Amino acid sequence: MPEEPVDVLIVGAGASGAAMAWSLADTRMKILCLEQGDWMDPASYPSASEDWELRRFGDFGLSPNHRGRREDYPVNDSESPIAVSNFNAVGGSTILYAAHFPRFHPADFKVKTLDGVADDWPLDYERLEPYYAQNDRMMGVSGLAGDPAYPPKQMPLPPVPLGKLGHTLARGFNKLGWHWWPSDSAIATQTYEGRAPCINLGPCIMGCAQGAKASTDVTYWPAALRAGVELRTRSRVREITVDENGMADGVIYYDANGEERKQKAEVVVLACNGIGTPRLLLNSRSKLFPDGLANRSGLVGKNLMFHPYAMVTGVFDEPLEGYKGPTGCCIMSHEFYETDPTRGFVRGYSFEILRGMAPVATALWGMSSGRVPWGAEHHRAYADLFDRTAGMVVICEDLPESHNRVTLDPDLVDSDGIPAPKVSYRLSENSTKMLEHCVARAEEVLEASGAKSTAAEAPLRPAGWHLMGTARMGGDSRTSVVNEWGRSHDVPNLFIIDGSIFVTAAAVNPTCTIQALALYIADTIKKNLANLFD
Amino acid sequence: MSEDASDPCFSDDEERALSAVLDEIIPPSSDGRLPGAGELGLAHYIEQTQRRNPDLTPMIKQGLAAIDDLACSRSPQGFSALSKQDRLEVLNDLRSTQPGFFPSLIFHTYVGYYQNTRVVEALGLEPRPPFPKGYEMEANDLTLLDGVRQRPKLYRA
Repeated sequence: MPEEPVDVLIVGAGASGAAMAWSLADTRMKILCLEQGDWMDPASYPSASEDWELRRFGDFGLSPNHRGRREDYPVNDSESPIAVSNFNAVGGSTILYAAHFPRFHPADFKVKTLDGVADDWPLDYERLEPYYAQNDRMMGVSGLAGDPAYPPKQMPLPPVPLGKLGHTLARGFNKLGWHWWPSDSAIATQTYEGRAPCINLGPCIMGCAQGAKASTDVTYWPAALRAGVELRTRSRVREITVDENGMADGVIYYDANGEERKQKAEVVVLACNGIGTPRLLLNSRSKLFPDGLANRSGLVGKNLMFHPYAMVTGVFDEPLEGYKGPTGCCIMSHEFYETDPTRGFVRGYSFEILRGMAPVATALWGMSSGRVPWGAEHHRAYADLFDRTAGMVVICEDLPESHNRVTLDPDLVDSDGIPAPKVSYRLSENSTKMLEHCVARAEEVLEASGAKSTAAEAPLRPAGWHLMGTARMGGDSRTSVVNEWGRSHDVPNLFIIDGSIFVTAAAVNPTCTIQALALYIADTIKKNLANLFD
Repeated sequence: MSEDASDPCFSDDEERALSAVLDEIIPPSSDGRLPGAGELGLAHYIEQTQRRNPDLTPMIKQGLAAIDDLACSRSPQGFSALSKQDRLEVLNDLRSTQPGFFPSLIFHTYVGYYQNTRVVEALGLEPRPPFPKGYEMEANDLTLLDGVRQRPKLYRA
């Protein structure tokens, strides 16, 4: 039986869906969000249990394929050197993200003009800046003003502690004269809007038991629900339906019991990110849209961008207290961010300094890298590593290529029988050169910081956190899926607000840009309510 | 008859052999500060791991049987009765004959060992989960940024 129609139906309660729901709430429209996952219980997060380190191999692992939760959907990533890492719950992947929260640079929006590659975005940094700032306040972002890598911006909260490890690395960057700055972090370093301050637990990437990390279940959603938005969990959308005029008129979804339900809506908003959104569009086939909804350009699912990551670890002589502090937020460096043609590749990368390793992680890294053998030498080798490692990741800008894509797997399905996505992706020559360059520079700065040895892994296979480009925005309906404010070129009452609309990927974590875009699109919808579909 | 959750996965002989193997993987430290993995009782941890992951059972059973076969070819009393040198030779043989089992056993041994309270304390840490106590950290020294602050803008407009 159909549910009561709503004005706006948002699919996905993660980073962008939450921001959109909150922003639209003041219109007093009837807003419903369908989320295939459930509310998380912070008391159940690993950092509150003795076996917390082990759980990253189980129910809080990175890959949905390994976790095997009913709420997740499987992803066939066998044809990709980078494996997809996402999470389905109220809060989406912000439940597991590291909360590293740098903005894009102004140049990231005009790569064609500046560097002659890919395409410019149909909007720029200045247009998004007020929404970045609004989002920083809503999420409670910590950091330090004055970073010469960015136009002036204010940070609502003071930066996370650098700790002994961060100070050690900062001295290494200074020795080389390279840029570094305390990380912009979506972590409350002081009590903020009812959230307790960070107490340096460490494993942010397995959920924050303290509630200091800005996952959207503790930021936007409480405010959106207070404002009257309805959030329906364990509701997995199978397809978007269209009327005879080609307008979206609702969705078909499965409830918690696996029962098929229909929900009518005046406006449908997709917020499922770079894998889930094309999956849903491609699965929404009809007479009017035989190749998938909003896909007359043929670009839905194409131009998938990850960020190719390198992981470089340094081993030091002195203890670094690296098991303390937010694991993904310490210091960042944009020394090699902007294009320098002498490097042999276009665009650039950023360094994100991580923390060290806790006891189990030390042993397992020692095992996999051959540094901690079993047997008589075990304890000596372990003692040389424990609390003496500093990790850093390098985030390389990926460029859009149409052969990197998401399609529907012909065989794999989720627990409701909906076709699962398949990812086909290969590294470009530009990315390969960039990875080689960044690993050498990472080793250089670790050695300048005092590391006696280093080890690198590139590309880092489990690092498919950033999912972008598969329903790109642009002014031309032949070369893009949505316009400059997220509205489908083909279906005027269908909006896409997640990472899939990115034109290019930049070289920083995308979440704050995803959310700034969602707030911008919400604001544009509100300004155009009278003639939204014209 | 269904298997009772309290039934041991290993026979006494298997458990004795496994404990001896674990003591070879992580022996006691020479200063006596850190126990051997077998001495620590990690055979029970491996048993619990197997119970939680039944898929592991065939590999572990097969691996233990292979250890017994290799050991009995040297001494009828089995692995725990072997000399140190013979034990190492058996385990090195095992690496080639059971390539899936041995790395898996090392993995689970390392995981069980380094989250054990006695070991964590011996490493100088409090044996507790991070939450709710958390950790104190030193104050930031932002004078380290003085040189960076002097740099011209790094971004292109």
